[in-house]
Amino acid sequence: MLNRINAPELTISGNLEIVDAIVDKLNNGTPYITTNSGTQEVIKIDLVFEAGSAYSTHPIIANTCNRLIEEGSGKFSSAEISEMLDQYGSYFVTEAGNEFATLSFYTTGKFIHQTLPVLKTILTEPTFSEEEIETYKMQGKQRLAINLNKVDFLARRNFLNTIYGDNHPLGIMSKSEDFDMLNKEALLEFYHNNYRNKLRAVFVAGKLSSEHETAIKNLIEELNFNHSNINNVVEDKILNPKTTYINKKDSIQSAIRIGKKMFNRKHVDYFDFSILNTILGGYFGSRLMSNIREDKGFTYGIGSGLATDINDGYFFITTEVGSNVANDALKEIYFEVERLQNEIVPEEELNLVKNYLFGSFQRSIDGVFALSERHKTLHLNNLTAEHYLNYISRLKSITADDIRMCAKKHLEKASFSEVVVGP
Amino acid sequence: MINFEKFELANGLKVIVHEDKSTPLVAMNILYMVGARDEDPEQTGFAHLFEHLMFGGSINIPSYDEPLQKAGGENNAFTNNDFTNYYLTIPAANLETGFWLESDRMLSLAFTEKSLEVQRNVVVEEFRQRYLNQPYGDAWLKLRPLAYKVHPYQWATIGKEVSHIENANLQDVKNFFKKWYAPNNAILTLAGNCSVEKAKELCKKWFEPIPSVNLIERNLPKEPKQTEMRRLEIKADVPSDQLYLAFHCCSRYDNDFYATDLLSDVLSRGKSSRLYQQLVKDKKLFTDIGAYMLGDLDDSLILIEGKICDGVNPKDAEDAVFYVIEELKKGISDKELEKIKNKTYSSLLFSEMSIANKALNLAYFEMLGDADLANQQETIYNSIKSSDILSISNSVLTKENCSVLTYLSNHHA
Repeated sequence: MLNRINAPELTISGNLEIVDAIVDKLNNGTPYITTNSGTQEVIKIDLVFEAGSAYSTHPIIANTCNRLIEEGSGKFSSAEISEMLDQYGSYFVTEAGNEFATLSFYTTGKFIHQTLPVLKTILTEPTFSEEEIETYKMQGKQRLAINLNKVDFLARRNFLNTIYGDNHPLGIMSKSEDFDMLNKEALLEFYHNNYRNKLRAVFVAGKLSSEHETAIKNLIEELNFNHSNINNVVEDKILNPKTTYINKKDSIQSAIRIGKKMFNRKHVDYFDFSILNTILGGYFGSRLMSNIREDKGFTYGIGSGLATDINDGYFFITTEVGSNVANDALKEIYFEVERLQNEIVPEEELNLVKNYLFGSFQRSIDGVFALSERHKTLHLNNLTAEHYLNYISRLKSITADDIRMCAKKHLEKASFSEVVVGP
Repeated sequence: MINFEKFELANGLKVIVHEDKSTPLVAMNILYMVGARDEDPEQTGFAHLFEHLMFGGSINIPSYDEPLQKAGGENNAFTNNDFTNYYLTIPAANLETGFWLESDRMLSLAFTEKSLEVQRNVVVEEFRQRYLNQPYGDAWLKLRPLAYKVHPYQWATIGKEVSHIENANLQDVKNFFKKWYAPNNAILTLAGNCSVEKAKELCKKWFEPIPSVNLIERNLPKEPKQTEMRRLEIKADVPSDQLYLAFHCCSRYDNDFYATDLLSDVLSRGKSSRLYQQLVKDKKLFTDIGAYMLGDLDDSLILIEGKICDGVNPKDAEDAVFYVIEELKKGISDKELEKIKNKTYSSLLFSEMSIANKALNLAYFEMLGDADLANQQETIYNSIKSSDILSISNSVLTKENCSVLTYLSNHHA
């Protein structure tokens, strides 16, 4: 008779192989990092620039420049550029954070020779035509107006404003009028200063033949962009924690954000804190999910996280709950935070989290694009693969008491800011 | 190209294995052929609520998630109108834990009152978060009953209304399980570091003892042909006007599916597509517009949805969409056809990047009749001619076949 009660034996090997990236440099010194593996003939080229919102006093120019760069260049209109990319199943994904802006170009081995010239014109001679800027303004204003009707959007931006203030790129709350200040000259200037002159690094990933590799590298060399490696640190001070209630009438759910400024992955407590965060709200079986969703049924989802970049990081708890139970949910959130400060995590739970995180890490390096992302994180943070090995070794050695100490040190309720958006 | 082997257990469970030794993980996917279309009209949202209950403990194992996480695994699930899909990824060394958990919940659930009560609340909050507390979030709740008058696609997976979920009782839940959750109504796929021999051994051990059930043949009413345009206008507290056009089209099983899918691509695949270029970029009537085919297993819909620019009359915006449609009916150039086929080629490649996606793709095509269809998609799409697409656009993209939903903002009344 099959025993269905007892779980099969587990094997947690704890050994990990991280396939190294090939780290090279362009003629001008730009780091050029290749991850070559996989079975599909797909290629991704990430160009990372020092062109995030910290590089301008205008609140949305970094984002706009990032989005409009593919909307017409050289002798080609925006429509023609789109046509040339779509014709060969290639596309751009653009992203601007507060530090870096990234242009990710996706193409296939089959069509790489047709699409690389398009990439070149996009990168080297964007036009930022008035007409495209006008369209973008209309789109941006409408998108913002819709977002301002969403409780989670309101909670997020007010929370970041509370902890970073009005002068930090993360804390700025963009307004409809910001779009009116956009113009061609400002965008071209930002492009020249921050794209042509501040290429931080290039990451190439996919199943690459040597011919592909040469073609891509030649193209990037020909761009003749200047390399830069300067972190634009925005001066910021710790603001006093604050509790804010924002009224959104007729809302049937309330959005909650709680947290504080924290640190990034270079901090000595980073590994401990990320394991602590997992226990609190970082996976499906977390304390917050178990209590507030799976026991009380107050929400569809609740979680916590540590958002990090090169200079900085912040910690947050986020959820949307039935408005009628918002106060009960807040009480339970703080109950769970305090429990981690005052009580030792049971051995069984800690082991579960360790195993889970080990499996998560394996998942996070599975597949060529995922692996390339990890290499990117390491490189941009000036870290080596040793960082991940140290993480795995800390995962093995951390004790329940270390977790409690970490919670005591970093999860003081008095240090948190809280934002609730509801009726 | 996904290489695989297929076998069937004595109880009717179909199993597909794609071995990939380059990963230390295995993705395990179980697709049950039951969805929202199988619900009682007075108990909608049930298939999805049931998906939540599948995590509330099974007959021999009090918790699903805990042992899986302890084994380094992660999982999730989704429900749509046609099927319910559960998937997990796990380090290959612990694959048997996945078999233990999935087979036990296929055998039977714990059916506790506590789990039902909590998940009813969770799903009600999901209903509120995704459909009721978002601008335009209820579009599908309005659009489905407009487009479908008799077929169960007239309700969304989340359900017609919150009360249907609140009223679900344990006996209903048990009946639903007995009717649909059985090996002969499921497809199991494994993708990753697992050999066919290993898969056979584990299937024999964990799944083969589960009894099959007598499946009742699905007998859903066919949606009658729509003969005149239907309209619904909603005056709402939203920042700007939005337009939704739904056209009836064929099912995923129909040979016309591929031409219909490419038709929606001609309209809206990529920024160079007709709708985006003409209506967003040239005429500046919309800030965004897109079209897609739902691909349901019964007669389905092509959707066009657009955000109308502030200051533009919604009727003018709608007329402009029909103008683009009429222009399309005049012809598609070879270059345009090649473009959408190249797009299809690259998205097929990108869709096979992860083992989890490969496992889902194989299960999905096996549900359609043959897992190998996953490997034939490119060839089939390539065989479509522009005349095929034009003939679909002539029969499908007509006013009398269209349901129009418009949100009118009361902000600039």
